[in-house]
Amino acid sequence: MAFFKKKEAPVKEGEHVVGNGLSKKEIRQIHMRNMNQEEIAYLKRKEAMDKVWPIARFFILFGLCFIILYPLIYMISCAFRAQEDMSDPTVMWIPRHLTLKIIKQTMNAMDFWNTLGNTLVLNIGCSLVQVVTCAITGYGFARFKFKGKNLLFGIVLMMILVPNQIIAIPQYMEFRYCLGIQPLMEKISPKLGQAFNLIDSPLTMYLPALMANGIRAGLMIFIFRQFFKGLPKELEDAAYLDGCGPFKTFIQVMVPNASSSFLTVFLFSVVWYWNDYYVSSTFFTNNSTIALMLKNLNTLLSLELFNSATVEVSPREQIIWMEAGCLLAVMPLLVMYTFLQKYFTEGIERSGLVG
Amino acid sequence: MAKEKKIIKMPYEKRKGMYGYGFIALWFVGTLIWFLYPLANSLMYSFMEVKPEKGGMKGTWVGLDNYIYVFTGDANYSKYLVNVLLETLWKTPLIIIFSLFIAVILNQKFKERAFARAVFFLPVIIATGPVYSIINGNISSSGASSAGQFSTMFSTDLMGELFQFIGLYGINENIQKMVEAVSNNIFGIVWNAGIQILIFLAALQNIPVSAKEAAQMEGATAWEYFWKITLPYVSPMILACLIFTVIDSFTSPDNAVMGRVLDMQKDWQYGYAAAMAWVYFIIVLVAVGIITLFLNHFIYYEVD
Repeated sequence: MAFFKKKEAPVKEGEHVVGNGLSKKEIRQIHMRNMNQEEIAYLKRKEAMDKVWPIARFFILFGLCFIILYPLIYMISCAFRAQEDMSDPTVMWIPRHLTLKIIKQTMNAMDFWNTLGNTLVLNIGCSLVQVVTCAITGYGFARFKFKGKNLLFGIVLMMILVPNQIIAIPQYMEFRYCLGIQPLMEKISPKLGQAFNLIDSPLTMYLPALMANGIRAGLMIFIFRQFFKGLPKELEDAAYLDGCGPFKTFIQVMVPNASSSFLTVFLFSVVWYWNDYYVSSTFFTNNSTIALMLKNLNTLLSLELFNSATVEVSPREQIIWMEAGCLLAVMPLLVMYTFLQKYFTEGIERSGLVG
Repeated sequence: MAKEKKIIKMPYEKRKGMYGYGFIALWFVGTLIWFLYPLANSLMYSFMEVKPEKGGMKGTWVGLDNYIYVFTGDANYSKYLVNVLLETLWKTPLIIIFSLFIAVILNQKFKERAFARAVFFLPVIIATGPVYSIINGNISSSGASSAGQFSTMFSTDLMGELFQFIGLYGINENIQKMVEAVSNNIFGIVWNAGIQILIFLAALQNIPVSAKEAAQMEGATAWEYFWKITLPYVSPMILACLIFTVIDSFTSPDNAVMGRVLDMQKDWQYGYAAAMAWVYFIIVLVAVGIITLFLNHFIYYEVD
């Protein structure tokens, strides 16, 4: 084909000189001669744009990237400086006294390694469970016709819209008294009553996740529904013809096709659980996740540094520890993001949030 | 024959529908327990004076008293409410325009693109957490605060200086104030646009190559291309982003109304807290509804 096209293409005047030892500039001049005024103006404008735009783009992106990275750079800069550098006006970004003292103190105050392990287990566990249940629900909404489907899907949309703060207190009561079972149990024995008080137990996180009602579950169901709707129906029809039941079809045909989408939603879920402090602060009274530790860092620091929770550290002094705490809290996410960035960004398109 | 087929087909469809119930059963039970029941409860609290007691909440019916108190008795609430609504009103369009602009840039081919994308999506993983409220407070706090020397970079009247430099003295106080508000809040805008940029970028990559080629053949400039090709194709996503942005800013625990609700809860004033949250939620619902209805007129759907 290409060969024929080449032959048929009309040869413009001047084109034959290409490669005849002329410089590129001369070739272009010959080209220009054959154009009318409008075309030349268009080309000139385009050329100017092509030269100016990359520079403008560089400045725009550089400035905005700086705004985004500024807090991170500041965190790193603060976390490794000594206390006296804070009041030294000559220290802007690079600390004069590099030290690991602040980081170590903050780590002690947050009980970092234990908290990290605890948070990771909780987050990954909840996310895994929630991704599975949300996928099942999303599939149910995407591929089956049943009575009341629109109404039920309306509830899913409500789950996205209703702020957690509205339902937090009643939920607290549910967990505190375990849906009304706890008072009965307490009558039998106080110890049993204590066991059914779910506040502070990780079950407060696992139970809703297990039933596709954890943090941002509505959004996840919505994403999965969109995604499964986008998959070709023939996949399942083939499985049905071969005698697969719907559940077996889902597990053996749909899930393998959805694996990248699963990973994306799972990663986002981990991030949302990691960042959550509202829900966990409602149900946990002892600080056991990184986000909660960070929220209470003030008191924790006073305890660690002065052995008393009431000593007020001036905010100016405090900032280095706060920034160190932020750095510690963000670090695991950043590490995850660096290695799995592709799944965060490319997965969104495939996961069907769009369209 | 045809009739027989139908008779056989119906039960199959129905049976398949029953499987549908099977798939959503787990979620439905969960929603009854962890969502609908608490939701109904909190609606009830808003009409009651609630006191926590052993074994649950004890409430006495007070009718609309809580709602009346929210608007007349609590001076802070109305103030916060108006502030949050106004802030959302001007911030949302800015976030949308900004994220579309950035998405168009990030969709072009250049050397540092991968790095730039990684940086712009970074807020997606950080902005929902407590770290954000710390760095946000850190940056917006001015004066005596420790970060003063750095935050001046963002809080000084850069725009005013620029206007004076160009020679525009007091053209219009309101316009100048608006521009200043934007430039001083650039941090909040950039940091809240992560997901929106992602969504727009995905939409941009879905624009068919044929449309792009047709525009090139006709000699469209980048400007024309944006208005006649890009914008219509991403318009459904503008709606999605708008709703996402509105919900995001309304439900963030950092906003003042939510803060007020939490304060009330800490004071054991559950009735008032519930009433406040419900007033707020209904306003959010109405806002989202109006946006959807309004924008649906301007959206171009490729498949009709």
